[in-house]
Amino acid sequence: MWFAATLPTSPAPSAVMEFKDYYAALGVDRTATPDEIKRAYRQLARKYHPDVSQEPDAEARFKEVGEAYEVLKDAEKRAAYDEAGRRWSQRGAGAEPPPGWDAGFEFSGADFGEAMAGDEADYSDFFEALFGRHMRGARASARAARGDGRAAGTMHAMRGEDHHAKIDIELEDAYRGAQRTLTLRMPVADGQGQVHLQQRQVEVTIPPGIRAGQHLRLAGQGGAGFNGGPAGDLYLEVAFKPHRHYRVDGRDVTLELPVAPWEAALGAAVVVPVPNGPVELQIPAGSKAGRRMRLRGKGLPGPTPGDFYVVLQVVLPPADSDAAQAAYRALQQSAGTFNPRAELEAQR
Amino acid sequence: MSATPTPNAVIVEEAIEFTLDELGRATRTSTRWLVTLVDEGVIAPTQRSGAPMQWRFSGDALRRARQAARLARDFELDLHGVALAMDLLQQIERLKQRLAAAGVRD
Repeated sequence: MWFAATLPTSPAPSAVMEFKDYYAALGVDRTATPDEIKRAYRQLARKYHPDVSQEPDAEARFKEVGEAYEVLKDAEKRAAYDEAGRRWSQRGAGAEPPPGWDAGFEFSGADFGEAMAGDEADYSDFFEALFGRHMRGARASARAARGDGRAAGTMHAMRGEDHHAKIDIELEDAYRGAQRTLTLRMPVADGQGQVHLQQRQVEVTIPPGIRAGQHLRLAGQGGAGFNGGPAGDLYLEVAFKPHRHYRVDGRDVTLELPVAPWEAALGAAVVVPVPNGPVELQIPAGSKAGRRMRLRGKGLPGPTPGDFYVVLQVVLPPADSDAAQAAYRALQQSAGTFNPRAELEAQR
Repeated sequence: MSATPTPNAVIVEEAIEFTLDELGRATRTSTRWLVTLVDEGVIAPTQRSGAPMQWRFSGDALRRARQAARLARDFELDLHGVALAMDLLQQIERLKQRLAAAGVRD
């Protein structure tokens, strides 16, 4: 699940349920054989899986593909989906789904992959309507089989499930720490046992020194407990938004610093923008382009704080005036036998 | 709904140790499957003496176990395939970091 961590609320889910065309999502005919469905899924999985994909928007595309396969690979679920499709198409011109389109399906042997399944809120509202209740029932049984709590359907208190989400933060947040409000979509059952995805806000304190790829655990912010059991935990995987200027590697931060040729050649005091405050840096005379300079301990904070690296990038003023051109010619004259390609020529 | 303050956001990789049960709950996998991950070398307890119930895992095991579960489920891989995929992905990640450090834009 991705959340825009800087927004206080997300737009409300659309009131009108959309019918999801799972066959189109996999690019197969409605008459496709199980083998064809598996083959189509495998190719799309390799293309769009977030762990391996280079495609933009891979995560959203893979969700579509994964959900379609989850339904079409299983004979019972596929049959229920096809039947729901027939009912839906009988609704006529209206946008509302026909009443009862998603009711009356039972799944005896259907596999909901509960052994290693993702979060419930990863599935679309459409999937939730058709399969949600059965998925949760299967998961409860699986949890019981794993020995996690007592058998499903008893009155014993059971701990709620742990949930996972991702959060994008600014590099500056990791330097100083920050408060962020997350909006989460959680399946919630109402009085009649009907489940819909509800929004809930959670305030998160981002601790300074957090690194990309690390997780935050918010105790008790996961799924609600059962029969009075404690709530599960919420895990947040942290990623940094790409920064215009800084590159981050663990706790080390690197900045390409543009300098004028005279600053590099003659030395200069320059101000370096470090995320937690500007630092004055003395560039030694005779510095070459590409020189790496280290500001020890000015990287991300932590038990061993990271370092901040400055890489000198010499930028030439344009020779766009008579005076500038004259200055360059004078420099050329004074350089004498200076040959920047000496090393290349020596190799011949 | 008003926001609930959470002063207890803890960095998992630095402050948390998991038991096998806790790791199973956090990753929605069975402890039996996690033991096969340990046997395959995908995750490793900080010390392996004693029964599995006595094992403790560092916070880093959360990320690795979740990735293993995701790869197994999404690519329908067996354990050997998962282990190989994770090794390769880790190599790719390291190479990307070296490229980034050298200033090569992706």
